Amino acid sequence: MNNKIPNFVKTNQFGLLILVIVFICIFSFSTDGFTSRFNIYALSRVVALDIMIGLAMMVVILTGGLNLSLGALGVSAAMFGGWCMESMGIPISITIILVLAFGSFLGWINGFVTVRTGVHSFIVTLATMSIYFGFMTLLTEAEAFRKLPEAFTDFGSLKLFNKYISPLLIISVLTCFVLYYIFKYTDIGRKLIAAGANPDAAELSGISVDRMFIYCHMLSGFLAALAGIMLTARIGAAIPSMAGHLGFDWLLPAFLAPVLGGTLLSGGKVTVFGTMLGAILVTLINNGLYLIDVGEFWVRFFLGIILLGAVLLDRAREYFTVKNSIVS
Amino acid sequence: MSDYILELNNITKNFPGVKALDNANFRLKKKSIHALLGENGAGKSTLIKIITGVYNQNEGKLFLNNQEKSFSSPNEAMNAGISVVHQERNLIRRFSVGENLMLTNLPKNNLGLIDYNTVSKESKKWLDIMELDIDPNTIVSDLTVAKMQLCEIAKALSLESKILLLDEPTSSLSPQDTKNLFALLKRLVAEQDVSIVFVSHKLEEVFEICDEVTVLRDGKNACESEQITNLNRQKLVKLMIGRDEQIIKSKKNIDFTDESLLDLQSINTDLGHKNINLNLKKGEILGLYGLVGAGRTELIKCVLGLDKINSGQILLNNKEIKIKSPKDALEKYKIGYISEDRKKEGLILMHDVLSNAGITVWSNLKKILSFLNDSIVYNKVDPYVKQLEVKTPSYQQIVSNLSGGNQQKISVAKWLASGTDILFIDEPTVGIDIKTKSYLHELIIELSLKGTSIILITSDMPEMISLADRIITMKDFKVVGETINNHNYEEMSSSIMGNIHE
Repeated sequence: MNNKIPNFVKTNQFGLLILVIVFICIFSFSTDGFTSRFNIYALSRVVALDIMIGLAMMVVILTGGLNLSLGALGVSAAMFGGWCMESMGIPISITIILVLAFGSFLGWINGFVTVRTGVHSFIVTLATMSIYFGFMTLLTEAEAFRKLPEAFTDFGSLKLFNKYISPLLIISVLTCFVLYYIFKYTDIGRKLIAAGANPDAAELSGISVDRMFIYCHMLSGFLAALAGIMLTARIGAAIPSMAGHLGFDWLLPAFLAPVLGGTLLSGGKVTVFGTMLGAILVTLINNGLYLIDVGEFWVRFFLGIILLGAVLLDRAREYFTVKNSIVS
Repeated sequence: MSDYILELNNITKNFPGVKALDNANFRLKKKSIHALLGENGAGKSTLIKIITGVYNQNEGKLFLNNQEKSFSSPNEAMNAGISVVHQERNLIRRFSVGENLMLTNLPKNNLGLIDYNTVSKESKKWLDIMELDIDPNTIVSDLTVAKMQLCEIAKALSLESKILLLDEPTSSLSPQDTKNLFALLKRLVAEQDVSIVFVSHKLEEVFEICDEVTVLRDGKNACESEQITNLNRQKLVKLMIGRDEQIIKSKKNIDFTDESLLDLQSINTDLGHKNINLNLKKGEILGLYGLVGAGRTELIKCVLGLDKINSGQILLNNKEIKIKSPKDALEKYKIGYISEDRKKEGLILMHDVLSNAGITVWSNLKKILSFLNDSIVYNKVDPYVKQLEVKTPSYQQIVSNLSGGNQQKISVAKWLASGTDILFIDEPTVGIDIKTKSYLHELIIELSLKGTSIILITSDMPEMISLADRIITMKDFKVVGETINNHNYEEMSSSIMGNIHE
């Protein structure tokens, strides 16, 4: 039949790639400064973060759940890092390890409670979102850490590749490759996906589903903490409100990137590079709309519309997988 | 004018790469029960989906009451008086029977609220027609499986359906419930002017209840509206599979005085098993027979650590073991479980053949740093997938696109690949075509000859008697009998049923 069309063209990622290119064209022509060195550098700093939080959400969506505490968790981890460096004088490298461990631990709490109680992660992470953020605010008295080591903040404002690209983007892209490798080429990655797709079947096939779900939540915490560190480096300070109240600012891009990218909300399917493209698309639209100067609220309006559209796409995807199946 | 209520002429339906139906005919006489038979993949489901408006045919015509029709949605077909009762229940479990029956047309009172008195009264009418003694206010989830099935039929009748399509209606019914259902169907045909299309893999039932038979093979008619009186079982099987049926019997000599490989001693469980004792010898096929709800599958799941064992011991080679999870069972004790529910528990339908067949061996195959790629898995599972003759275009095919028989083969293949010493096999041939069924039977015997010890759960008495070496009968979560199988159907079945009805 349509064997002549390469498989890649039929995938979701290809559609996204086209969209990304279309938007780049539109914004390049319709705005001033979209392709300027300054804007591209700014974009690379933003997109780096959006990719990371998209991935952090993706690994929990894999289980058929979600992680609403993502933003609160990331900021809490970042504040912990700020405290380590500023108040305790712990070296940067050790701080980063501690922060990632701390983020994984908070993720472990999410996972452990979800698995043990059998309550949907929506409720569990709604609660922990409030707990993490509240506790963090209490401990820091809502004060920021602004006197971070220069080596750390300098990294955040470093410019690479003829001053076009932030090193933060390189970290995110590398993370994508690592995750892709894990899901595609490791025993554990396959088990994570199998557990997410059909927990009953996976359990009976000798996979410890509970443990896999906890791993997903830990991975989510790890990535959110990494995003927290990156944001701290970018801003040059660890501020309690840097992801909005309760970390809300992260939630929309966190959902948009994986869902646009082709990750099924019902679980069992991940698309690492789709999530990356999804995050790029979101950042592009965000940035382009600001440049067109439509105003903050319109940007939110459009992102909301896109999320709804992406969810419809998710439905359509499930529908068409059923329609296309040759069952007789 | 013909006396056919439904006529499908020269129907062809193409799917990408497959001709599901090729010039097939189907004619349903008024007030008759017509069996639609064929192996999995023969085109039965496609034909039913065309009748009910899920698919449109590429060629051919459909006549309802001598008028040409084409349904563009299941709703249209339903409005034209065609209803399907699926294997899967389509009732809303938390709603009452009455609400379910009246769901599409709930009566309202003056305030626009649901008038529950009328709901009860109206639905009672249909339940009465079926001589069903069910209170319309009963919540569906409180009904037995058999009653739910009957309510589905009542629901179809309440939609004024004149054509009922029953897809494997007896697969979860006990013999007694089946008898009642058949009596009802005969009455419906006689009194309510209903015509019935009956799809089943159980040929005994076809002979018991049907008037005419249409058989599909590879999308074509192997026979068309043949009178049932002109056929016998052998002829019918030959029509379905294109050759004679082979009946397999295990001829083995197990020394039952040998030491046991697996020994359950006075097991009591959270689910209600009382004082279960059973032992499994090396290379034996131990049958667990019982009616649905006897606690057989539940027992196995307790052994696998999915539910709690409160007291008693499990011995493997005379050493006490504690199995915490299926993972434990597989990795520590080499025990595997082939689930009765391949769609929910056996396979990951949305994943491809390779990852389904390889899921049990990933842990063993992984290299340093948990590295594992497709070709490592492929090399391991390929011999088993080949041995089982799984028909799939490639290892990248999504499993839900395969036929039921091939799906079942994959859920067996993954356990063969895992190389377990003990296999729990639960209802291995439910909804499977005859060819694959006898193939799986041969395979199970062959496995046991090679030394795998098997506990076989099946509700299919002929299957049990041809495969098992020893048969344990369970009832109400207790063991009620143990018989060494002499493979004589009459003797064994009466002895087993005797145990159950004692």
